[in-house]
Amino acid sequence: MMMIGLGLAILGAGLGFGLIGYGAMTGMSRQPEALGRLQTAMLIAFAFVELTFLLTLFLAPASFSKL
Amino acid sequence: MDRQHPMDIQLLRLLPIASAEGPSYAGLVFYVALVLLAIFLLTGMAKKGFKDRVFTNKLSQHAEQMYLFVESLCINIIGPHGKKYIPFIGTIWLFIFTSNSLALFFPTAPTADFSFNLALALIAVFYVQFEGIKGHADHLLHEGKGAFGAWIGGFFRHMRHFAGPTMGRNGAIEVAVAIVMPCLLFPIELVSELMKNVSLSLRLFGNIHGGHVAVESLNHLWAPFAMSGNDVYMPLGGFLLLVKLLTVIVQALVFCLLTCVYIGLVTHHEEPHGEHAEAH
Repeated sequence: MMMIGLGLAILGAGLGFGLIGYGAMTGMSRQPEALGRLQTAMLIAFAFVELTFLLTLFLAPASFSKL
Repeated sequence: MDRQHPMDIQLLRLLPIASAEGPSYAGLVFYVALVLLAIFLLTGMAKKGFKDRVFTNKLSQHAEQMYLFVESLCINIIGPHGKKYIPFIGTIWLFIFTSNSLALFFPTAPTADFSFNLALALIAVFYVQFEGIKGHADHLLHEGKGAFGAWIGGFFRHMRHFAGPTMGRNGAIEVAVAIVMPCLLFPIELVSELMKNVSLSLRLFGNIHGGHVAVESLNHLWAPFAMSGNDVYMPLGGFLLLVKLLTVIVQALVFCLLTCVYIGLVTHHEEPHGEHAEAH
C-alpha cells in the first residue's frame, strides 16, 4: 500500500517537474538573454517540488506508523 | 560501554561506516574532520595566490568565483545591507558544497546524515530570528530606549510579523476582524516557521542520502544475473554520478538561497534615516 502511495506522490512531483521545465524553456526561447536568470529560477522551483516528494517519502511513514 | 550489546557491535559503532540509522557519532566526527581537512587544504593552497594583483593560481581564481557567487546571492536577494551576511552564508555554502562533493565518493558524508542537516537548518533559522529581533532592538535603541526594553520590544515587534497584515480599525466589523484574524493566523505562521527547519534539513538529507540509496539499489540490480546464488554487486550506480553532481551543486545553492530569502524577509524595515536627522 505504501508503494501505491509513493507512486502517486512521485506522479504529482513528476508532473510538477515537467511544468517547471516547460515554463522555463518557453521563457528561454522567448528571451534568450534571460537564460541565466531563468535557469536559477527553475532550479529554485525544482527544489520546492522535490521537497514535497521528500516529505512524503520520509515523514509520512514515520507519522503513520506506531510511534 | 553498555552491557546489552556484544563487544564487536560496540566497536563497530566507532568505525566510520554507514548503517541503516546513519553513521555513528564517531563516524560523523570522522567525516566532518574529512570535510574540514578538504576545506582547509584547498583554501590554504588558494591563499598563496591572493598576493598577486591578478590571480594566476587556478585555485585562487576558483575561490574568487565562489566568493563572487555568495556575494551576488546575498546582495541581490537581501539588498545593499546584505554585505554583512556574506561570511555566514559563505561558510554554510562552503561546508555544504564540500560535504556534498565528498558524498559522491564516500558511503556517508555529514550532509547525508539527518541530524547534521537538522543542526544546520536550526542554526540558519535561529540566526534569522535573531537578526529580526536584533534589527528591531537596534531601531529601538537608536530611538533612545534602554537596553533591556529595546530587546523586549524588539522581540514583540518581531512576533508582530506573525500576526498577519495590518488592518484599519474603522467600524465594528474591522475591529472584530483585527482581533480574530491574528488569532487564526498566528498558529499557522508559527507552524510555517517550524516547517522551515524541517524543509531545509529534509531537502538536503533526502537529496544526498537518497543519492546513496539510489546508487545502492542500482548496484544490487545485477543480482538476478549472478551465476552463483550469492549477492553480486556491479557498479551500475556509477551512471547516476552526473545527476548526483547536479544535485550537489543545486542543493548547496538552494539552502543558501532560502536562508538569504528568510534573512531578507525579516530585515526589510530599514527606513531612510533622513527623517531622524530632521528631528535632531
